[in-house]
Amino acid sequence: MRSILPLLALSVALPAGAAELRYASTTDPNTLDPHAGNSAPNFSLLGNVYEGLVRRGRDMSIEPALATSWEPIGNGEGWRFTLREGVTFHDGEAFDADDVIFSYERASSPESDVASWFAPVSEVVKVDDYTVDILTSAPNPIFPDSIANWMILDSGWAEANDVARPNIEQGNFATTNANGTGPYRVTERQPGLRTVLEAHDGWWDDDIGNVDRAVFQPVQNAATSVAALLSGELDLIEPVPVQDAARVEQADGVDVVRGIEARVIMLGFPHDADGLYGGDVEGNPFQDARVRRAVAQAVNVPAILQTVMRGSAEPVAQLVGPGMRGFTEGLDPYAYDPDAARVLLAEAGYPDGFQFSLRCPNDRYLNDEAVCTAINAMLAQVGLQPRLETMPVANYWPTLRAEEHDVYLLGWSPGTFDAEHPIRFLVATPDEEAKLGSWNFGGYSNDRVDELLPRIQSEIDDGARQAMLDEVANIVKDEAVYVPLYVQPLIWGVKDGVDLVQRPDNFVVLRWMEVAG
Amino acid sequence: MVAYIVRRMLQSILVLLVVGLVAFSMFRFVGDPIEQLLGQERTQADVDRLREALGLNDPFPVQYFDFLVRAVQGDFGISYRQSRPVADIIAERLPATLELALISGLLAVTLGIALGVFTAIRRRGVAANVIMSTSLIGVSLPTFLIGILLIYVFGVQLRWLPTFGRGDVVDLGWWSTGLLTESGLKSLILPAITLGLYQMTLIMRLVRAEMLEVLRQDYIRFARARGLRSRAINFRHALKNTMVPVITVTGLQLGSIIAFAIITETVFQWPGVGLLFINAVQFVDIPVMAAYLMLISVMFVLINLIVDLLYVWVDPRLRIDGKTA
Repeated sequence: MRSILPLLALSVALPAGAAELRYASTTDPNTLDPHAGNSAPNFSLLGNVYEGLVRRGRDMSIEPALATSWEPIGNGEGWRFTLREGVTFHDGEAFDADDVIFSYERASSPESDVASWFAPVSEVVKVDDYTVDILTSAPNPIFPDSIANWMILDSGWAEANDVARPNIEQGNFATTNANGTGPYRVTERQPGLRTVLEAHDGWWDDDIGNVDRAVFQPVQNAATSVAALLSGELDLIEPVPVQDAARVEQADGVDVVRGIEARVIMLGFPHDADGLYGGDVEGNPFQDARVRRAVAQAVNVPAILQTVMRGSAEPVAQLVGPGMRGFTEGLDPYAYDPDAARVLLAEAGYPDGFQFSLRCPNDRYLNDEAVCTAINAMLAQVGLQPRLETMPVANYWPTLRAEEHDVYLLGWSPGTFDAEHPIRFLVATPDEEAKLGSWNFGGYSNDRVDELLPRIQSEIDDGARQAMLDEVANIVKDEAVYVPLYVQPLIWGVKDGVDLVQRPDNFVVLRWMEVAG
Repeated sequence: MVAYIVRRMLQSILVLLVVGLVAFSMFRFVGDPIEQLLGQERTQADVDRLREALGLNDPFPVQYFDFLVRAVQGDFGISYRQSRPVADIIAERLPATLELALISGLLAVTLGIALGVFTAIRRRGVAANVIMSTSLIGVSLPTFLIGILLIYVFGVQLRWLPTFGRGDVVDLGWWSTGLLTESGLKSLILPAITLGLYQMTLIMRLVRAEMLEVLRQDYIRFARARGLRSRAINFRHALKNTMVPVITVTGLQLGSIIAFAIITETVFQWPGVGLLFINAVQFVDIPVMAAYLMLISVMFVLINLIVDLLYVWVDPRLRIDGKTA
């Protein structure tokens, strides 16, 4: 009898009717305007409301959304998108090519926060009401992958409400109101407090679960949201703090859903500095690859993952995690070997180590401060003398930009879910004009990487492209340009009976949820 | 008297100006708002454009002056985080904080006085000693710990009360109240206790000490000798004479209840101005931080002003000083 009971319970739970989902996350989207903010909390919420030409499926692959198909034009001059007919916005207006053109102009305008997605685009041409050509200045094989978060607004609605351009600093009607084509519409919005989404009956697709109403509330304090989950006031919280995950797992009526995020946590070095910011030696020892490799071998990543991250995270040897497009197979991280690290330091002329500054944020990544404290101790064990300093992220980025750093902690989530993304932002020689290397705080520069990057960006053939990505991944590893540590875990807490899909982009996709009644 | 009031008002304005200046000189150390406003794929051109648009390139005295010029016209700027007028946001959030402060203030005063009188009259009883010992917890435990303990016991274990938020509110147009719904009242209980516990123990100990003092006085002894009922002695004659310092302290504490609500609001995700301020610090939302700090300092300055004027009204000697000065 005992084995049958759970089965019975399951079969009763499955054919649930319409359900409400109450969920919480730490950060409230700062705007409902999909072109005025470029951050995961925004797209996570707005992805339920607005849609792009393409969207990401359960496995992160690109699939048709407002475009039914797309194909390259000629010899890589751009992409032709065939649009879906019969789609309406939440206010009842029909969707057509004019909305795409309008949304392109809006999203690529100087007032937009997502304009950099359209840097490769030279022109967008309306062919007919349901066909649009997006022309690129160079062949761009991953363009459809890069616009999964480019959301389409209704041109009529935007003009009627005077929101033809996003307004980050002053705000406008689109900051607190939304009108998309997606499966949910916003019925209530109290910034910072509460957002209510309700199912949109006229949605064109039928891939939708039974959540017909969702209430989102930001809860900053992790202990508060865990308590609210345990007491049954919330059905889903993200994230569950690493240190609370085991407790939530053991509690009755709730469970933990784990996955890995797209974000790789790494150590960065001062490559182009003449001297150290917090050092006691002449010159910059980190310009010697042997010193950087010594750091890589001195950090015991498995130990950090076991203690600080409680076994939740995965080690990684490159700047993207597995599952991203262009991931290099067969690349192993440097093994933890403090003796080898000491030998490398001695070879480089620093047998007794040297002093430098180690900077970390303390409110940006999961347990970032604890991770850095562990790294600090591990580096000290091979004779290095790091001076650890942690600070809130609001101060952290400005110090890195001001070159006030030696070794620093950085997390990177590739917006395009492609290995080209971190190369463009983190490895390419900084060049403001060409919008390259804007987060390459160490100023690393490698001619071969700079030569390969444009070819990676325009290579149509997947095999040839992967070969070049592999080459860059190997350069980054051999030169120890960065020391990739681990892929950050995703830990959500859910009430029993909530069935959901967790993707590496950490988006809460309501339409894939089934909530038992 | 008039000269005294005018002088105190001018001093208050000076205090406000100095608070604002200190606040604005500190904002640079909170971080760079641009980093929070734009995503990771932004370009330098975006940064420059926004920095200019927000006036962040100006030195802080200029930023402060601009703020003052607009503030006296009732314009507190636009929140960086929410892209909405700060005045609207604060007006939305203020009712939650004021209701919480009011309820926990009432709780602190009524319970504090009742328990204070009780422990003074029965100062050798077991119950009074238990109350006195447990009141040490209220004074010594930090607010966030008390809040989390209450959440754990009454929210998670017993499930009697909500663990966070304000429940359903009734919108009266200019004021949103949680006092008219069941969930709103239930949500109020734990945060009100958390916020009021310290003040309650403070008032209780004060009332007890004053009562013990008064009960020793001759007129109480004579009242007893006259055969008055102990109720009349304790409440009509003794308590009345302990109220002057209690009222003073309570008035001053009202300001700190509102200001200290920050921690309670964070623990309970209470949608008031304190939580708003914490978020503003995190996201370097300078207009919100500035408006909040000015609001709190205006409040403190006003309370002090009123207390000072009350003293003048109560104590004629100060009035003479005011005239001669």
